[in-house]
Amino acid sequence: MKEKALEGVRVLDITRIIYGPWAATLLAQLGAEVIHVEMPGSGDTLIRLVSPGGVFPRNLSPGMMCCNANKYFVAIDMRKEEGREMIKELASKCDVLMENFKPGTFDRWGIGYRQLSEINPQLIYVSMQGFGNWGELWERPSYDAYAQGITGLAEITGFEEAMPVKSQAWIGDFLSGTIAAFTTLVALFWRNKSGKGQFIDLSQAEVLIRAMDWTWLYMAIKQQNRKRYGNRDPAVVPSCLVKCEDGYAAIAAFKKDEFQGLCRAMERDDLLEFLDYDARIKNAGKIYEVIEEWASKKSVDEVVRAGYTYGFAAAELMNAAKIHGNEHFNERRAVWKYYDPLYEELCYPFALHLGKTPGSIRWSMRPVGFDNEHVFRRILGISEDELEELYRKGVVGKWDASIPTTAPPEGKEGKTIY
Amino acid sequence: MSEQKEWIKWTEFARQITDPSNAHTKPEALEGIRVLDLSHGSFAGLFASSLLAEFGAEVIRIEPPEGDIARKMSPEGLEIENTGLAYIVEGRNKYHVTLNIESEKGREMLREMAKQSDVLIETYPPGHMDKLGLGYQCLKSVNPCLIYCAIHTHGQKGKLADEANRAGFGDYDIIAQALSGFAYTTGIPEEYEEFPEHTRVPTKMGNWMGWYAGGAFAALAIMAALFHREASNEGQYIDISPAEALMCLNNYALHFYHLTGKVIERCGNFEPAAYAYNYFRAKDGMVFIAGYTDPNWKALCSIIGREDLVEKYSTIKDRTNPENWIPMTREIEKFTMQHTRDEILKLWLSYKGEGVTVAGEVLKPIETMQFRHWYERMALLRFKDRDYGEVLVQGVAAKMSETPPRLKWVCRPVGADNGYIYSKLLNMDEKELERLKEQGII
Repeated sequence: MKEKALEGVRVLDITRIIYGPWAATLLAQLGAEVIHVEMPGSGDTLIRLVSPGGVFPRNLSPGMMCCNANKYFVAIDMRKEEGREMIKELASKCDVLMENFKPGTFDRWGIGYRQLSEINPQLIYVSMQGFGNWGELWERPSYDAYAQGITGLAEITGFEEAMPVKSQAWIGDFLSGTIAAFTTLVALFWRNKSGKGQFIDLSQAEVLIRAMDWTWLYMAIKQQNRKRYGNRDPAVVPSCLVKCEDGYAAIAAFKKDEFQGLCRAMERDDLLEFLDYDARIKNAGKIYEVIEEWASKKSVDEVVRAGYTYGFAAAELMNAAKIHGNEHFNERRAVWKYYDPLYEELCYPFALHLGKTPGSIRWSMRPVGFDNEHVFRRILGISEDELEELYRKGVVGKWDASIPTTAPPEGKEGKTIY
Repeated sequence: MSEQKEWIKWTEFARQITDPSNAHTKPEALEGIRVLDLSHGSFAGLFASSLLAEFGAEVIRIEPPEGDIARKMSPEGLEIENTGLAYIVEGRNKYHVTLNIESEKGREMLREMAKQSDVLIETYPPGHMDKLGLGYQCLKSVNPCLIYCAIHTHGQKGKLADEANRAGFGDYDIIAQALSGFAYTTGIPEEYEEFPEHTRVPTKMGNWMGWYAGGAFAALAIMAALFHREASNEGQYIDISPAEALMCLNNYALHFYHLTGKVIERCGNFEPAAYAYNYFRAKDGMVFIAGYTDPNWKALCSIIGREDLVEKYSTIKDRTNPENWIPMTREIEKFTMQHTRDEILKLWLSYKGEGVTVAGEVLKPIETMQFRHWYERMALLRFKDRDYGEVLVQGVAAKMSETPPRLKWVCRPVGADNGYIYSKLLNMDEKELERLKEQGII
């Protein structure tokens, strides 16, 4: 078995919904030991109950399973003093703590950065927020859709003659979570040299702002808004999504030899007068019209094969069904099909292909409090009697079978899996 | 007993320890890490190396002698000092050299630099670097500690990679958006007849989301490899596909298909698993309104004086039924379209009844720019650059107490650091550089 990049790194993940959980699951995919904390009983209801049409096949939650792979699940009631003591105990034995409660909540509870960094000066404390822990907007509540809206990302997406469109994906959570995981590793790298932990404040809105390429510089220079360009890229000409006879395809041919190839494929050598980059941008409308017209009379497959033959980039617009069955993505395990110890055959998208220390998907989400015994006994060294007492007081707990997705599938209740 | 500490308000404390205007007084986390960035026409590679450069890595951008074509990717062809706007944003903190890696001398120079570097990033068509004798196998033999990160939509192995290798095309954002399934779920649904037909199609994100996702995954993988190298003293090979990166960010589309055989279809500004959790048209733009559990939906309806909607769409099941999305939205928009965004926000804030419902503005980027917040946190930054003058660009996202990232310069002209880097790494003098220039190598 190959090594894991983050072997020996322990993460206390007290996050909810998507932004925080996704950041922590990336670290878990890279081999960190991640302990995910929820409320006893209901767990993270804000995400466990998220499913299109409100269906929960195999008692799984689509919202939760996509951002909680490879984690150990415990349930601690942090509203209770003893629960907060357990968080302190855990934090003293962890390298990283991640949380996304409203700014100042953990500080008020006595488990914020100020308190925990005294107990564990090496701790990396990651606070993931909508707008950050301070500044004019810090108190605003945050949702992915709001982050996409307030930053202007939705306003630049879609067609000028229709309306702003957000991505259906919670990109404000997922992209920001990815950046949070990256930033955490930077801090860990430095801690190994300096022996010092630190506090990280990461705003999801600011990550989206960072990812909006030339938007800000353009507006500052032109003193006008960036508009919506539909499916045509105004800066990389040509780069577009086009409608074909039987579906949609993407075409891009910016390099001169690629553009020449595309012109040849379309039998439109007249367009070669726009071989120069500036000429292409100035005549973008005309070029895009020609490409759209050409593609509309071809099948997706013909367009893609023309790309291979003539040397420009072209690809089918895929959906989940096509990706799921695609030979290339399966061969690469970008479509990672695996046997989950609780939920059996499952599938996960995967992109962290490292040669020596490949990441992996080992299991999906877990029921509320499923790994209590494993974590509290092994890491905290709590005795069986003490643990029983904590259960009795409701400081720790397990699932509530009346709430969907919180309990294990039938017959798997007593299972322990490492 | 230790002295009683002064316990100031949390937000003030958080500001004190992370204020990015003090960043220059603090150490840099990646100081001493050298990165060679051979990105070619790909902002995935450029963003990955920007992230590392923001934390103090010494990033050496290696461009062909005429400059990278990424400098030509600019809206309306706008340029400052012959450089497009997007490149100026991602040229940050990087040393810029030129090198013709197609020439024998150029390859020799690259191998020598790779020997002295920690990370190499490239975005050429799969197999291209191997053909030049600069692939991982070759560079590993001169530097076993090297972390080599190849980035391409089609990946470095597999059926599509073979096709890309033969056809030789580059790494493009739009290809990542299409292959990942991301564009499939973005856009206005067919049934939404209020909008022109050609706009009711799968839609790409306005920004280069494929490239930015790919760059973020590449930077994450590189940091994991660097972390591992500290313990093992081993480099490694990394294969990042921006298409796969974006696929990972597309919610549960793939998991759900595997479980149920159902494809998540595009649904405009609706959320398949919750309603209301979407945008509504107002008099002067759009607003985001959330109120999806039963009591919160009731609160929303009572604010707009439409208690009849509570009856009509009383359960979560009714409201997440796609057939109801457009009719429900039309009803709510009867109200919202009579009001401005500001009026709606104020109305929502003044609601004191039961349930929680939230409203927020959907802004044009030029409106977003008016918030003081981004400037005090340096998420946006007016910067006076030596080569590019005064510009307004994104700052850095993360605020950190000990090793904050920072912006030191925005960009450099083509080959601006040839003298500095080649004398430092390859011990070359001016005369030698002059000769290489004449031969078209730099």
